[in-house]
Amino acid sequence: MKRSPNDGNTEDLDELAAEYVLGTLSGEQRTAMQGRLETEPALRAAVDAWEARLLELTSQVEPITPSHRLWARIERSLEQAQPARPQSTRWWQRLAVWQGLSAAGLAASLLLALALWATAPPVTTYMVVLVTPSGQSPGWVVQANDARMIELIPLGHDDVPDGMTLQFWTKGEQWRAPVSLGLVKPGAHYRVPMERLPALEPNQLFELTLEKEGGSPTGTPTGPVKFIGRAVKVI
Amino acid sequence: MKKGNAPILNSPVVPFDFEGCLAACAQGDRHALRALYDHEGGRLLGVARRIARDQASAEDIVHDAFVRIWTRAASFDPSRGSARGWVYSITRHLALNFVRDSRWEAGLDEIGSIEALTVPAQLDDLQLWSGSAKIYRCLEQLQPAPQRCILHAYVDGCSNAEIATLLGAPLGTVKAWIKRSLKALRECMA
Repeated sequence: MKRSPNDGNTEDLDELAAEYVLGTLSGEQRTAMQGRLETEPALRAAVDAWEARLLELTSQVEPITPSHRLWARIERSLEQAQPARPQSTRWWQRLAVWQGLSAAGLAASLLLALALWATAPPVTTYMVVLVTPSGQSPGWVVQANDARMIELIPLGHDDVPDGMTLQFWTKGEQWRAPVSLGLVKPGAHYRVPMERLPALEPNQLFELTLEKEGGSPTGTPTGPVKFIGRAVKVI
Repeated sequence: MKKGNAPILNSPVVPFDFEGCLAACAQGDRHALRALYDHEGGRLLGVARRIARDQASAEDIVHDAFVRIWTRAASFDPSRGSARGWVYSITRHLALNFVRDSRWEAGLDEIGSIEALTVPAQLDDLQLWSGSAKIYRCLEQLQPAPQRCILHAYVDGCSNAEIATLLGAPLGTVKAWIKRSLKALRECMA
């Protein structure tokens, strides 16, 4: 880890935190600070303390009646926002997504499983067919030949808009959130070492979402699901 | 001034449950966010307006703040501070990011107009509010000039250079006042 000049100096750290909350840091300093707050708990604690100390200064300010349009604007934006809410419904917990996957997805996966199993080495243990959430047309196959590597195989070549990329995710049933397996080029084979993840399990979820170039900034899916499927054990 | 009125006898003021509101937002309850907007939207807009200095930008900031409150409500951690403070911090920092970015190029030319906007009411306001919270008692112990530095920075979103212009003081002096005042406030608030 890179050490900054402020490491180990609580007085400097506190001064920086105070000036950040007060508002006198420059734009550049604020950006740097907001980056550091993600990773430095001591700095974050100092900032939290200053936020609490100075909060009541906001009572200096007279309230202003917002224009009538403001709430309507906020409400419209909520439609597009992806609420980060761990305990409530997310897309992978939504029944409709899974209903959409049921018949056609299962049929496609069984057919493909058989077709691929006929040619693949007999060590394949898991198979996933990734289909579109609405059209139920298969787009990719995930194949696990052993416990160390999974392979993502394109069935077609679909285009991704400029400035966007496909990101590959997986989530076991007991996991709290999906884990990124990396960025994927449309139409290209992609291999992922699995040693840093728990062993594959039946029903494990795999999906590809459309994200801005460079991938999801939050570490969890933010864009629309393009392809989705669950792992089926191949006997 | 209405804000200074004491609560009427026997009519308990029910405080708004900020923490419960965030918990409900985290569960996807739109009514909770609307309740927060109805209760606090005007004050948050006031805070954003003082920093951004125009109504349209302030409304943009409050819009962004409410979207952020909605998407991040689940990440609110009560062990780190009050829910009300969290809501204000989000709004203030969005406003500060906005002015630091948008005024980056503006240089000092613009500051003349800021002076007319922000200076006159400040000291009266401070008199008016002194005693209402501990921070004001601590602020009163500072000299008038450092006091104004803190308020111009926190309330008006002024940069060090803007404060120096407003007070007619050298930039280095303003920076030193602020550093010293912050230390004094920290000790006083402890």
